[in-house]
Amino acid sequence: MQIRSDIMRIYQKLHLWCGIGAGILLFICFFAGALTMFKTEIAAWASPPAHVLPQVSLNQLDKLLHKAQAQHPELSKGFVIHPADPRFSPLSWSNGERDHSVNLSAEHWHATLDEQGNLITAKVQPNKLADLIDQLHQTAGIPGSLGHEQLGVLIMGGASILYFIALISGVIVLLPTLVKSMFAIRRRKTAHRFWLDLHNLLGITALPFHIIIALTVIVFAFHDQFYGALNQLVYKTPPSFMPRNAMQQPLDTTQLPNISQILSSANQFNEGYQATSINVMGLGTPRAMARIEMYNEQALMRGPVADFLALNPYTQQVLFSTMTPGNEGVWGRIVSSFFGLHFGSYAGMPGRWLYFLLGLSGAMLFYSGNLLWLEKRRKQQTSEQPKRVQIMAALTVGSCLGTVVAVAASMLLGKWLYQFIDNINYGYLWCYYLCFGLALLYSVKIGAARAAIHLLQLTAMICLLMPLTSLLALTIPTLGLWAPQTLATMMVDITALLAALLLGYCTKLTRRRALTGEPDSIWAIRPSATVKHMAPQASR
Amino acid sequence: MSRAAKIRPDWLGKTLCGVVLGFTLALAIVGLFAWFGPGGIDARDKYQFNMWLMTPLWLCVISFIYLFHSTRHAFIWLGSANLLAWTLLLLLR
Repeated sequence: MQIRSDIMRIYQKLHLWCGIGAGILLFICFFAGALTMFKTEIAAWASPPAHVLPQVSLNQLDKLLHKAQAQHPELSKGFVIHPADPRFSPLSWSNGERDHSVNLSAEHWHATLDEQGNLITAKVQPNKLADLIDQLHQTAGIPGSLGHEQLGVLIMGGASILYFIALISGVIVLLPTLVKSMFAIRRRKTAHRFWLDLHNLLGITALPFHIIIALTVIVFAFHDQFYGALNQLVYKTPPSFMPRNAMQQPLDTTQLPNISQILSSANQFNEGYQATSINVMGLGTPRAMARIEMYNEQALMRGPVADFLALNPYTQQVLFSTMTPGNEGVWGRIVSSFFGLHFGSYAGMPGRWLYFLLGLSGAMLFYSGNLLWLEKRRKQQTSEQPKRVQIMAALTVGSCLGTVVAVAASMLLGKWLYQFIDNINYGYLWCYYLCFGLALLYSVKIGAARAAIHLLQLTAMICLLMPLTSLLALTIPTLGLWAPQTLATMMVDITALLAALLLGYCTKLTRRRALTGEPDSIWAIRPSATVKHMAPQASR
Repeated sequence: MSRAAKIRPDWLGKTLCGVVLGFTLALAIVGLFAWFGPGGIDARDKYQFNMWLMTPLWLCVISFIYLFHSTRHAFIWLGSANLLAWTLLLLLR
């Protein structure tokens, strides 16, 4: 396909600058996003096994609820039921307020019944590692908020606008040579060619995924502005999310709702869907609601894990649902599918693994894009590269590998420090930002070439220590560590082991390139000359 | 032969044009879809779908606006499209 050269030049430039503007932020979010595909598993891996109380049979749920409320009247404000799911305690409630951000010091109560029907309760400090990784995914680790929206989310919305433009312009630039070069990875030619072919292959094969992610993130960040503009200029009467007249007749809201009735109406709502959790909130107010997570492996679901159904907890009247069956639910179901395509909440476990790999391949796409930007600006035949190229290289290596190192270190140290720190959730936060900041500083100080090798090596070692920690926990139980007790949590250790091997291999390649690759590259390390010209940068 | 002449990059002008006029054009098109598209204005949960429609429309205008010959061309074309879409929406609504 022919494209005029002036158009090509404009879109090349557009692709380059949009890419470099958003690349690092997108890398962080894609890496963390890949991990959130296994949020439940990572949360379980990071918590001591004693954090979950044994399940009760379905017909005992109401008995459990009444017994627990007699001792803990505060649970009437709101509680969560996980029916028949051994990964969770059957009943839990929290004293903390629910909002967008993660509450690190919230106390949770868990409750169950023993074999004789006696109430067992436990106060649990919930482990927030997985929630914090999710926050990192949503905000790229940028703290603060603007209005009721998190600043990081808004910035990622802006970055996703650049991301979408970079996708379109990238395809335009690639069109003329698409067929010829698509599956060719010319490894032997030059390092630049290899990265370019890899970049193109990753981008084109996962293009639908990238378009979906870019568009959904923009909506997640700016839906308030879009709704606001539409309400003011397009609609005559702004529509509302919830029927306001849901609870008109006064009801006796001092009683606890009947869980078995809620459960059976929920399970009859749409064929193929099973209720996996019931979150009862607002009891005693006109906004009382049972928010139910509904799972169907055959469906594309609205939430990260499941669809949602909201019932009036006393009358079981439907307040809203994201999978209303039949003709009237068609718009809602289409919208749910947009969410589901972002969250990867379809096709069960294979779907999650696919999204995990797509997330990592996306991170690679941005990393290789930054490397290409650097290559394009490199001066041939000289070891002295322009300052801005050196800085950009250091920022790319420091932030991208820094995030990976920081998340891995938080996961590992969390297990070791758990018994020594009062609230490990703050430990995660400190550990992440400290490691990230140090990696960035280190990279700026000693230069990208060395930092890349050292950070890759460090991450590989940290990943290797995760399964070793579990082995140690099994051999020396007195250490106070714990090993995975389910297949799901064991997979976290196995994945860490695979990551260690992969990162070790990458370290080897990077070192070989630094020592024997093209000497006029920013990735080259030559004993004396490099140290000299890196030195002025150390004072930055 | 001004058509075949080289495209001017006009980064700032075209970008502003795409961001502002692209947004208003997307609003009007979504409005037409909301009122006169399938299901009409009252279909359940359709207003959520309408909001989702904003992003692809707006972003496509921003992405392809650099194909216009110059800021002036972009402004005239997008401005007319806006005028047409908004007139239709406000008259028919």
